[in-house]
Amino acid sequence: MTATISHTRLRVLFAFFAVASLLLSGRLAYWQTVGRAELLSRATDQVHSDLVVAAQRGVIRDRTGAILATTVELRSLYAIPGLMTDKGGNNIRSTVAAALAPILSEKAEVLRAAFDSGAEWLFVRRRLPEETATKIAALHLPGLGFEMEPKRLYPNGAVGAQVLGFVNDDGLGQYGVEGRYATELSGTPGRLVVARDPANRELALGLRTAVPAKNGDDLSLTIDLAVQNAAERELAAVVEREKATGGAIVVLDPKDGAVLAMASSPTYDPARVGSADAEALRNRAISWTYEPGSTMKAITVAAALDKGVITPTTSYQDVGYAVIGGRKLCNALCKVYGPTTITQILARSQNAGAVFVASKLGASDLNSYLQAFGFGQRTGVDLSAETGGIVRPLAEWYPVDLGTISFGQGLSVTPLQLASAYAAIANGGTLYRPYVVASRRDADGEHRTAPVAVRRVISEETSRTLVTMLTATVDIGIANAASLKGYSVAGKTGTAQIPSDDGSYVDDAYISSFAGFVPAIDPKMVVVVVLERPESKLLGTVPAMNTFKAIATDALRYARVQPDRP
Amino acid sequence: MTFAQAVRAPQARRVQHRLHRQAVPHHRGASRPSAAARARGASWEIRSFLVASGVIVSCFLLVLLYLAQATAVSAAGYEAQRLAAQRDELRRQNSLLMIESARLDSPARVETEAQRLGLVRAATIGVVVPEAVAATR
Repeated sequence: MTATISHTRLRVLFAFFAVASLLLSGRLAYWQTVGRAELLSRATDQVHSDLVVAAQRGVIRDRTGAILATTVELRSLYAIPGLMTDKGGNNIRSTVAAALAPILSEKAEVLRAAFDSGAEWLFVRRRLPEETATKIAALHLPGLGFEMEPKRLYPNGAVGAQVLGFVNDDGLGQYGVEGRYATELSGTPGRLVVARDPANRELALGLRTAVPAKNGDDLSLTIDLAVQNAAERELAAVVEREKATGGAIVVLDPKDGAVLAMASSPTYDPARVGSADAEALRNRAISWTYEPGSTMKAITVAAALDKGVITPTTSYQDVGYAVIGGRKLCNALCKVYGPTTITQILARSQNAGAVFVASKLGASDLNSYLQAFGFGQRTGVDLSAETGGIVRPLAEWYPVDLGTISFGQGLSVTPLQLASAYAAIANGGTLYRPYVVASRRDADGEHRTAPVAVRRVISEETSRTLVTMLTATVDIGIANAASLKGYSVAGKTGTAQIPSDDGSYVDDAYISSFAGFVPAIDPKMVVVVVLERPESKLLGTVPAMNTFKAIATDALRYARVQPDRP
Repeated sequence: MTFAQAVRAPQARRVQHRLHRQAVPHHRGASRPSAAARARGASWEIRSFLVASGVIVSCFLLVLLYLAQATAVSAAGYEAQRLAAQRDELRRQNSLLMIESARLDSPARVETEAQRLGLVRAATIGVVVPEAVAATR
């Protein structure tokens, strides 16, 4: 007997298979066309990895090639608490915590609490010192692993901290050279797309698209580590001795404006930026302004000499004060000197004498020379956060301002501006733009920074005359404490009052400074030392001069500069 | 099919061909192919077989060669990765040593160490001027 199937059933069956085939075909067509990209993407994701290749941050060196800042990959310790089990599957988090605690100098309970926090994955310590990481790795503890993370290291500790700046946790340069040259130092990240096997190893025969990272440029600074160290050592010592609230030192090469050293107090350790005081991050040499006091007399005399309204032997009768704009401006301690030459004005630091010189010069010319020497404007040094100081426009000057500005009150400067101006006096009259980066090295080679002569400020003859007068100020004058055995020194002291918020001056608090260069003839360095509120008060210029001597002695020995005096 | 069967097969086909040719009247020379012609036919079939076999074997060898090369390249890739990782680690160690060297050379550290050893800063430095030395000679 032959079994028969009804036509209806056959039709239904056929229709069912037809519809099913149609649906399957449609679905297939969908995945082959519209959904192709999605499928391809999923498949690609399983075997391909698309990584950003970090660029190596550039190295910063001093002028001799010593490393000041560099980046290295350090190991960060992470934990996967769920894997902290022994062979029998028992939880050994306490054991792991106890083993780690002495190495990390941490309490075992704290580590245990972190492991028990419920996190599936956590960093235990980031960027460990190499010895610590090696010790931990040798323990072979379960549930622990290492991940490489870049860290900016400063092998000289706090030396040069304010010049260098630092790199924050996001890898961005802040302050100093790190901030100013952030783009050049950071480079450009690359990209690597590769096929990987299940063990996450790169397949040699798979897809490989690589855009190499462009590493950051290396920078060589004009800073000399030995001079920088001497400047910071002496500044720290004098600030501590004098219980000063702060201070700054600038050492410049007067021939081209290269910054040899730049120290600022208070300072900080770039390795512990997080705990640094905000005030310590400020580079006082470029971002702090103060009334310069008598160091400005050299500028006033330079302007008058250059203008030809005085000579070193021009004399006047000193009565202990000068009256200008209806105001009486006295010498220090209202001392009366009688007949006085211009050389003696500098040697004795007479305020009334400076007013006499300024009166000969006139407000307009004094203002012009102040501008020419670069006061009231940024020097253009290649560091971030520079300020320009204040020299009010001539139209805003009161008659008395001609007198007060002549001896350094009523305007504000930065230590770097003053050093730059003294460098112009020392080098024959040319103002150079101070600079910190001597050269930049990239893939194309080394690019040296060309010194920039901003302008001629005074004539060579004026420069020579003023150098002789400033040398006399040190040899026989008020700045005798700055004299060095075997070397001629030219310089000028400065004691300034500190303006208060109400427009008057703070009682019994001063800013003491010394600006000088050595040797006086063919000078190798200009040094400016500024101390804020030294304990010695009016005698604060003495520790400033002693600091100058200590730095100059070290730097001259180090640079093997031959004595120019018996 | 074994190799022997394969060799015999063409002979069997040759016999069938001969019978077929005998059924069709031909001129005398054509009805009885010469030994040379028979040898040529046999030779052609063997050659075809050998060529086919050669192609198959060659293809097989080529595939083997490709696989061997692919394996070798893959292994070399893993080895290259291992060496690159080793190179990176050595570079890292070198960087760490350079930093340690810079730290040890730091003037601040040298000064501290000198003080610890009881050394003091020289009060005076003697300077010998070349001209003065020349004058004494």
